Order: sequence, then C-alpha cells, then structure tokens
Amino acid sequence: MPDADLILVIDDEPQIRRAVRDALREVTVRVEEAANGSSGVEAATNGRPDLVVLDLGLPDMAGADVCREIRQRSAVPIIVLSARHSEHEKVDLLNAGADDYVTKPFSVLELAARAKAQIRRAKTLAAAASSAAPVSIGALHIDTVTRKVSRDGTQLHLTPIEWQILATLLAAAGRTLTHQQIFDAVWGRQFGSPQQYLRVHITNLRRKIEIDPAAPQIIITEPGVGYRAELSR
Amino acid sequence: MVGRRAVATWIAWIALMAAATVVMVQMRDAMDQVHVILVYLLLVLGASTAGGRLLAIPLACAGFLLIDFYFQSPFGSITAGKTLDWVALASFLVTAIVATHLLARAQAEAEEADRRAVEIASLARLGSETLSAGRAEDALARIAEVIQTTLGMSECSITPWDGDPTTAASSVAATGIPSAGHKVQRALIPLSVQGRVVGVLRIANAAPVTLDPAQRRFLDAITYYAALGVDRVRLVAEAEHAEALREADRLKDIVLASVSHDLRTPLTTIKALAQSEAMQGNKSAAAIEEQADRLTRLVSDLLDLSRLKGGGYSAIPELNTAEDLIGAAVRQTRGLFGDRPLRTVIDLRSPALVGHFDFSQSLRVLCNLLENAVRYSPVAGSIELAARRENGSLVFTVSDRGPGIDEQDIVRVFEPFYRARSAAPDAGRAGLGLSIARTLAEIQGGSLSYEPRPDGGSVFSLRLPATELRADALEQTA
Repeated sequence: MPDADLILVIDDEPQIRRAVRDALREVTVRVEEAANGSSGVEAATNGRPDLVVLDLGLPDMAGADVCREIRQRSAVPIIVLSARHSEHEKVDLLNAGADDYVTKPFSVLELAARAKAQIRRAKTLAAAASSAAPVSIGALHIDTVTRKVSRDGTQLHLTPIEWQILATLLAAAGRTLTHQQIFDAVWGRQFGSPQQYLRVHITNLRRKIEIDPAAPQIIITEPGVGYRAELSR
Repeated sequence: MVGRRAVATWIAWIALMAAATVVMVQMRDAMDQVHVILVYLLLVLGASTAGGRLLAIPLACAGFLLIDFYFQSPFGSITAGKTLDWVALASFLVTAIVATHLLARAQAEAEEADRRAVEIASLARLGSETLSAGRAEDALARIAEVIQTTLGMSECSITPWDGDPTTAASSVAATGIPSAGHKVQRALIPLSVQGRVVGVLRIANAAPVTLDPAQRRFLDAITYYAALGVDRVRLVAEAEHAEALREADRLKDIVLASVSHDLRTPLTTIKALAQSEAMQGNKSAAAIEEQADRLTRLVSDLLDLSRLKGGGYSAIPELNTAEDLIGAAVRQTRGLFGDRPLRTVIDLRSPALVGHFDFSQSLRVLCNLLENAVRYSPVAGSIELAARRENGSLVFTVSDRGPGIDEQDIVRVFEPFYRARSAAPDAGRAGLGLSIARTLAEIQGGSLSYEPRPDGGSVFSLRLPATELRADALEQTA
C-alpha cells in the first residue's frame, strides 16, 4: 500500500511505541518510530509523515520545543501524549503548534479516532486552502466570501466580532484554538479589556447558530484551553 | 575616693605654693601687692584644674592668710588694720572661689559629655553590628560582648526565651534592671519587645560592682537592642521554618507528580495493549483493561487527596457565561448518561448569565454532581441541570430522584471519604468527590450546598459570583 498514510511516533519508551503502533493499526500500516526529540524533528522534516504522535517527557528535549521545531519546518499535524492533566501544559503545547492532545493512559479507540480526524483535516485543509467554498453544517450555511450566515434560507445577523470569531474557528476547523490564539486572530495584538468578553461573544454567537445553545454541536468548549469548531459528525 | 594619685596632686600643689611664697618673700620689696595676688590666683586656678574644688578652696584660704601674713605690713602678723588691703584680700578670696567653682562645673560638664559620647558610640556600634551581623545568633553574641566590655563585667550572655513558663527564664520576667547605686554581682534582666518577654540578659562579675546612673542608663538602652536582637533570632528561625515547610511541600508535589507520571506510563502500555487484545474478543484482556482504569482513578484520587489536604487547589476566575459551563458539563458527562435523559433549564431569551469564576474548576464541580446523580438515582428518574441568577450569584442546581440524604448525614456528605450507604462497596473511588467540589467552589468565592428535592431526591446548588455587564460593553469591543 504505497498510498497508506505515514505516521511518525516520537517516544523514548519502546513499550509505548508498540502500544501506539497497535492502536493505530486500523488507521495505517506505515508507522515510523523515533526514540528522542532531535531524531524525531529530523524524521518529521525529512520523512514527510502525515501525522506525528509525540510523547512528552523525552530525555533530550522539552515537548513544546519539539512542537516548535517541527512547526518551523512542516505543517504536519501533531498529536501530543501527556501523563499530566494540566490545562496549562495543554495551552503551552497548542500555542507551540500542537494540533491535539491525548492524556495517558489513553483509549486505543480514542487515539485512533483523533489520528484519523487530524489526517483528514490536514488533507481537506490543503484542498480547501485555494478555494473559499461555502461551508454547510446541517441546515446552517456559511459563505466565507460574502460573510453571510443563514439557516434554512433565513439570514442570521452576526456582529462583526462574532463573524471574526466564527471565521477564525472555521479556518482551523477540527483543531482547538487556545484563547490566546483566538484573541490574536480577532483583536490582533491589542491589549486591554475587549478580550475578556470572548466567552460572552461565543455565547451570543452560539445562540444564533446552534440548534441548542446549551448543548452546542458546532463550537465546542475545550475547558481551560479554548474553543474548537466541529464541521462533520 | 581619695586615691594615691590625688594625694600626690595635693602634695605637689601645696609644695608649689610654698615654693612660690618663699621666692616672693625674698623679692618682697621689689614686688607690688597686685603681682603677689595674681601669682596666688594663678596657683589656685591651677590647683582647681588638677585637683578640683577640694584642693582649690583650701589653697585659696591659705593664699589669703599668706598674703596677709607675709606681704602686708606690718609683715609677720595677721592684722586687720588697713582697710584698703582688706578689700584686696577679700577680692582675691572671692575671685579664687568663684573661678574654682566655674572651672569645676565646666570640667564636670565636659566629663559628662565625654561619657555620653562614649555611650552613644557604643550604642551606635551595637545598632550597626546587630543589623549587619550575618547570622542573628552572631548579632546576639556581639551585643553580649559590647555589654560585657562597656560595663566591665566578667560574664554576659543573652538567651532567647520561647515563652515556656517552666523554664528558668520565666522566673526573671518580673524582675527589672538593677537600680543605680546597688551592688551587683549577678543579674538576670528580662528582654521584651512590645510588652512580650522574648529573652533574658544575664550579667555577672567575680566581684560585686555598683552601676552608676550612666551605666544604668546604658543598660536600659542596650536591653532594648538586645531584645530586638533576640526577636530577630526568633523571626529568622520562623522564616527558616516556613521556608523548610515550603520546600517540603514543593518536594511532595514533585514526588506526587513524578509518581503519577511514572505510574501512568506503564498504565498506558497495559491499557492500550489490553484494549487491543480485548477488541479481538479476549475476555481476560478486558478485565485487565478495567483494572488498569481503576488504578488510574486511584492515582488521580491520590493526587486529589494530597491537594485537598495541602490547599493545593487554585482558581483563576475570569468572565464566563453560565451557558458555556452548562454546555461543557453536558458534553463531558454525555458518555455517563448514555440513553438517560438530562434536562437542562436555562433562560435563552434574556441576556446571557455572566459570572466571574474559574471555568475548569466549576466544570469539575458540576460534572461531579452529575456523576453522583447518575450513580445514586434510579435509571428512570429524571436528572435536571439548571442555572439562574439570584441576587449577586449564579446558581447552578443538579436535581435527581435518588434516595436523597438522611438528615443526620447531610453535614457529613461534604467530608472526605464519605460514601452514601446505598453506594456499591466497589464504586472504585475514594469518596473525595463532594469534599473536593466544595473546596473548589469556595476558592472561587462560591459555595456548594444540599437540600432535599420536593417529592423526593436531592438538589445540590453551586453558587458562583455573578457579574453585571454594562449594556454597551460588548458593542465597545466590536
């Protein structure tokens, strides 16, 4: 299967590499392994993998640094494995360029599902980069060119900020954006109080586009970390 | 008081006066009476400088008699016949005595000033040494040294006192500084800061000594420094102790973090490999996976317990909305509910309910309440999650149709390790949930409470601080 996706697993523990390889069996048969950060960065650059699974706590490099170095050279999606539940760490890694985060011990099914989602997202993103095709989620229709949002043909009125937030999340659909990343995209490097209203804007935006705003299906909250737009279910 | 040196001074000045008299008697015819009086006056003033009033006044009287006897005719007898001569003599005596007095007073003042200067210098030295000594204990030793040398004592020591009434130090707390003029061989002086006795100054000498008023004053001032020094020793010790506690706490955190990390890594391998096997139909592998999950829960309970006891939870309150929190709680507990209905009640027509709280910690509280509701209530019973505004608070309620809580247990449900009697013995958790939940609510300035639900069941209420948004706040940000 020459077309099978290539997944790079960076982990210093052979047992975990084996467990990850096992977990990803149904995603792909092509799995490459690296036992430390520097060889991992090299393999991520030269091997052109479709996905990197990075375990934190490597002996030679901090996880965030591995993310940053890979991100400087490649847009490959990165899923981080961490033994800690710390949101702070998660935010750091996402800001450093990681795409997703799985806490150890992980479920095989969950890891496989996230790996598939990231590979698919990277591919559709590459395809969609040139076209600004309208997005449809159920009955919701979003035209990124005309900046119009409608449900069942009825036009919805978003404020400029709400539109900015929605567009930012949609551009990175499937990926969690940290609060900071959303601030930067919507408000730029403007400091001060507007940013603190992000959550209120999100709530108002949900009331307009979600079917049940108290059980959102499009804009998902990643507690303590940020928000994510989910297009396909 | 009259030492050997004083006697020598007396003899010297008396001899000098005798010699001057002998010389002047030889030259009597060539000298004017005024010159004679001036020479005696100089002698008296000189004696006053060297020997004080005690020497000068007798010499002045002697000079008076000598002038009358040898230098006023008729020579060789004391007569009071010549009025003008008597005026000169009386002037001599008065001038000599007044000058002596003035000189003596000036000298006494100079000496006093000298003593003061020494006192101030030693106190200043003490102050700077107390402040600059590297270790507080060294500062105390320096103070003791200065007291010892200044008072000329053979022993001097300072002992901190921890307030323990059984120690010897407590017995001196009532005694004071030895009063001036009393003979002192040994003394214990209490050192106090702001009315609190913090230590004891002990001075002793081989032979009894008497403290003069200046020394007494010095001792008074210096005990203040000594007390400050002792207090500094105590503060330094306290700071070191607090530092040690912090360090121990930090180490504990590191150990717990690394233990949880080290346990999670093998658990990851076990769980992942067992799950892969189980998916191919291996029943034993499924059991292994289950137990790995249980161990994982115990590891996180362990971490929680240490945080609960050590006050390790922290909250970063931010502007958040009730809807966002409810949405996240529903999503997080979706798997738990399965097909069971969860009703959410929130007013979507009014402006969003906004509060100032830590999103993740509040979410943890709500998820814990929802988990309990699922675990302890019958499958058919409806569970409700609602949010409303009440005065200055956002109130989130989780209501179930479970058995409720017995009245005598209501206080205990929020204590660590409490588990409802109806709970399965192997619920797999340590029973920390509600105590952690209450702690998390309180560190955000909120509260968690229980009340029975009308018609059966429980209602848990999480209250968090609400925020009033200015109507134009959102527009301004656009």
